[in-house]
Amino acid sequence: MIRVRVPKTTALGVGLTGVGLAILLLGAVLGIWRSASPTGDGDPAHRLAAELRCPACQGESVADSRSPIAAAMREAISTRLGRGESPDEVRTYLVQRYGVEVLTMPPARRWGLLLWAVPVLALGAGLLPVLRAGYRSRRAARSASPGRPAGRDDRAGVRGGAAGDVAGQGRRAGSRRHRVFAPPSGSRVWNVGAVAVLALVGAVALATPGPQTPPGPATSPDPVPAQLALARSMEQQGQYEAAAEVYRTVLVERPADDVRLRLAFILIRLGQATEAARLAGEVLAHTPDAPDGLLILGLAQRESDPPAATATLRRFLTRAPDHPAAAEVRRLVDSG
Amino acid sequence: MTGQVGTWALGAGLIATVAATLLWLRLALHPGTPARAARLATGAGLLCAAVACGALEWALLRHDFGVRFVAENGSRRLGTYHTVTSLWSALDGSLLLWLLILTGYASLLGRLGQRHDQRLHQWAMTLVSVVSLFFFALSHFAANPFDPVHPVPSDGPGPNPLLQEHPAMGLHPPLLYAGYIGLVVPFAYALAGLLAGEPTRSWLRAARRWTLAAWACLTAGIALGAWWSYAVLGWGGYWAWDPVENASLLPWLTATAFLHSVLGRRASARSGWPVALACASFLLVLVGTFLTRSGLVASVHAFTESTLGPMLLGFLLLTAIGTVVLVCWRGTSDPYPPEATPPLSRATALLGNRILLTTITAVVLVGTVLPPVAQALSGTGTAVGPAYFNRTAVPLAIAVLALMGLAVLLPPSGTRPAETARRSVAPAAVGLAVVAVTGLASRPGPMVLAAFGCAGFTLAATAAALARRIRAGGTLRTARLRSALGGSVAHAGIALVAVGIAGSSAYTVATERELPIGQTLAVPGATVRLAAVDRVRTGSGMTVRARLTIAPSAGSPQTLTPELTYHPAQDTTVSVPAVRTGLLRDTYATLLAVSADGRSATIRLAANPMVSLIWAGGALTALGGLLALGTAPLTSRRRRRTAWPGRPLTSRGRHRTAWPGRPLTSRRRRRTAQPGRPTAGTARPVPASASTPGAAE
Repeated sequence: MIRVRVPKTTALGVGLTGVGLAILLLGAVLGIWRSASPTGDGDPAHRLAAELRCPACQGESVADSRSPIAAAMREAISTRLGRGESPDEVRTYLVQRYGVEVLTMPPARRWGLLLWAVPVLALGAGLLPVLRAGYRSRRAARSASPGRPAGRDDRAGVRGGAAGDVAGQGRRAGSRRHRVFAPPSGSRVWNVGAVAVLALVGAVALATPGPQTPPGPATSPDPVPAQLALARSMEQQGQYEAAAEVYRTVLVERPADDVRLRLAFILIRLGQATEAARLAGEVLAHTPDAPDGLLILGLAQRESDPPAATATLRRFLTRAPDHPAAAEVRRLVDSG
Repeated sequence: MTGQVGTWALGAGLIATVAATLLWLRLALHPGTPARAARLATGAGLLCAAVACGALEWALLRHDFGVRFVAENGSRRLGTYHTVTSLWSALDGSLLLWLLILTGYASLLGRLGQRHDQRLHQWAMTLVSVVSLFFFALSHFAANPFDPVHPVPSDGPGPNPLLQEHPAMGLHPPLLYAGYIGLVVPFAYALAGLLAGEPTRSWLRAARRWTLAAWACLTAGIALGAWWSYAVLGWGGYWAWDPVENASLLPWLTATAFLHSVLGRRASARSGWPVALACASFLLVLVGTFLTRSGLVASVHAFTESTLGPMLLGFLLLTAIGTVVLVCWRGTSDPYPPEATPPLSRATALLGNRILLTTITAVVLVGTVLPPVAQALSGTGTAVGPAYFNRTAVPLAIAVLALMGLAVLLPPSGTRPAETARRSVAPAAVGLAVVAVTGLASRPGPMVLAAFGCAGFTLAATAAALARRIRAGGTLRTARLRSALGGSVAHAGIALVAVGIAGSSAYTVATERELPIGQTLAVPGATVRLAAVDRVRTGSGMTVRARLTIAPSAGSPQTLTPELTYHPAQDTTVSVPAVRTGLLRDTYATLLAVSADGRSATIRLAANPMVSLIWAGGALTALGGLLALGTAPLTSRRRRRTAWPGRPLTSRGRHRTAWPGRPLTSRRRRRTAQPGRPTAGTARPVPASASTPGAAE
């Protein structure tokens, strides 16, 4: 068992212990100081990739992910760092290219501010009353007469009068209230409770959409919906390549615009912009100015032809200013 | 047919839980009525949940693809084990497991809880029944897995391939659920205490054991989940601060704080903290359920809808509002009741523990909830990940670690600075030595050094404290020592986990390269040679294995066989890493790709040091919870006579009421907790400086 036996009385023992601890403290400070200074070892590209999030996966960093997007991002990081750009510049480039979601620590602006405010507030809310209580008790100690020893009466007064003050009175009042509370109003409470219970069940029953209402836009009595559901669930699990395959199969069975757009959307995620642009073009050939078609065409063009992409996205914005993606697209268009 | 039985069971369960709620409510309002009917209704709820689970298992095992859940998640190619576990591989089925565990808790509480205060028990049962009836309604109306499918398909896709790769699938979700749902009991007791107007402490006695059991399950569940992602996901990590992982951590944090708020001086148990923490734990369980089951965080894209989301959110808000109203109406208002303890005491350390754990909870909660909320309210996409949590939650966690060691050094009450200083010398020396040695020998970074130092300090302090207790007399038969042992084991486990996390994050080395057969790949600490590449046709698809021999192996050569498995049903390839666990470091190999001719393979090789400490520490922590749980009341009668006045509220005192022939009536019990009566430490003079706030007013 670890136990340092310190001689209780000798000053020498205390001194030796102090010296020993001081030496250890010095060693520890040296260790921390040495460890904190930048070492220069380690791969800076890997370090940068490790703190970026792969936009196509869930919970994986760019350094760890096997998705094509992450590979492209790693490539971009190494080439740009090799060209002499600073990590901040590379980060800015990647944010412009893939959106702010790649950062795992958002900048402390607007919503990001909350990330820092909430912890500070929580810590403050916990600590402030403690500090206040300490201050009050110190003031109380000072105001108590200094000469008189804290006798029994005094203590009892402090404890009985103050120690049990808020909580105690509250509880006493509570138990008194409880005696009045329960029996007389019992039947009313029961009535209210029973109605509330039934209302809860009814609310769940009513809030459930009926079995006939289709959950998605595409439903017809054939195997296609099942495949679409499968593809959608794959998409949610981040298996974009598999989902794309399923959508391609569905497209053979039923060449509908919504399937084309879903497929095109996934292809953009996978970095296959050319095919996505082709699909979006097909959709727009049927229905010119279909907002989703414009959106996907615009996104697909961003790599090959940025001016055309901006034009398409602007068209999208005039067509569908209230689209869920409109705010994001507006930001993209404004940023260049 | 099976589907009809299942739907019917869910409907009957809904009716049974509605009846149980009303009957328990009636009992709580009109004391004295026999409780038999209410208990029967609760038992019927459990029976219905069991029948529903059984029906779905039956349908899965029989490959009854006319049942919706089986059509979506079953498969003929799956082995029996993974067919059984596929019950909880998707949302609707896992809700049935949830129901089974919830009603199981309700029935157990209905039977065992009567030992405590009757009115408290009845109110608690009412609340647990309300929760059960909500989930029955949810399962019956909104997420019924038994809906018929037309036309009946001949085969299904099977569950997500990642869920088919590891045996932990059978253990991790049930354990996690057992921990998660068990937190409904302290919540119900906390609110029951308010509703029944009972003295605040009596509900704590009733709730502590349930919380400990749930906490131990949750701890084991979280550790298993981390182990699973380490062994399956293939990138060598075990914790990614993913929303779903955070959702399981949040209630663990508050439940830990709750368990510690029960300790310590009576005043801390009397404060508002335990009620707040017990309620927060269950509300966070609901938050986590909402986050993971609404499709809110799982999707990067906002088009996904889930019918459960709005209902879960509604129930969460309802519960939160109800709790807040109740606490404001009848709760203790002062979170810091005056404690006649000096600032340098264990009570202060415990207060610090509560504050820090609450702050960590706030950090993790805001980091988890902010992205979807910002997305919903303003349409801006933000992501919060490791970079944020490492800079906020991790330093706070290191502070908690240091506090753990400090708390056992400080005296429970009273000031004995000389003795405290003498006790602190050895642990402080250990901590500083660890920092000095690791800091000078390697450069892991200040945060990792701090974690090492605090862990060394805490381990030494914990061991020394336990040794002191053993020397002070007492064998393992005494409940007090066993309770202390439970705490020590759990603290040692947490310290080991900290060492494992810090060490593996600082010293992991990895490399990846395309490797022709016969060549070697090396990282410091591990060298492997690619011996062969095998292609195997397995039942469902195709598997490619790379046989790697670990090079410097004395004696029999050891092999690692990472593999790539192709699942045709989902058209996905899953990479299963191979891990050789060592005491000091794991050798971790992942097969990334195989060339078309099968002559070479791309391998990622990593040496992950100290990872096994995380699993060992997690197991120790859960074990510590179980040990503290096992502090049986058997020895309490003898020990009670000698009980010292300021004793912390631990196991023995709790069971006083359970003794039938005891002369202690509830009235007397209540008086002992009266304010104004000196409760603790009266034998010792209390320095005026440490007296109470409010005295000056």
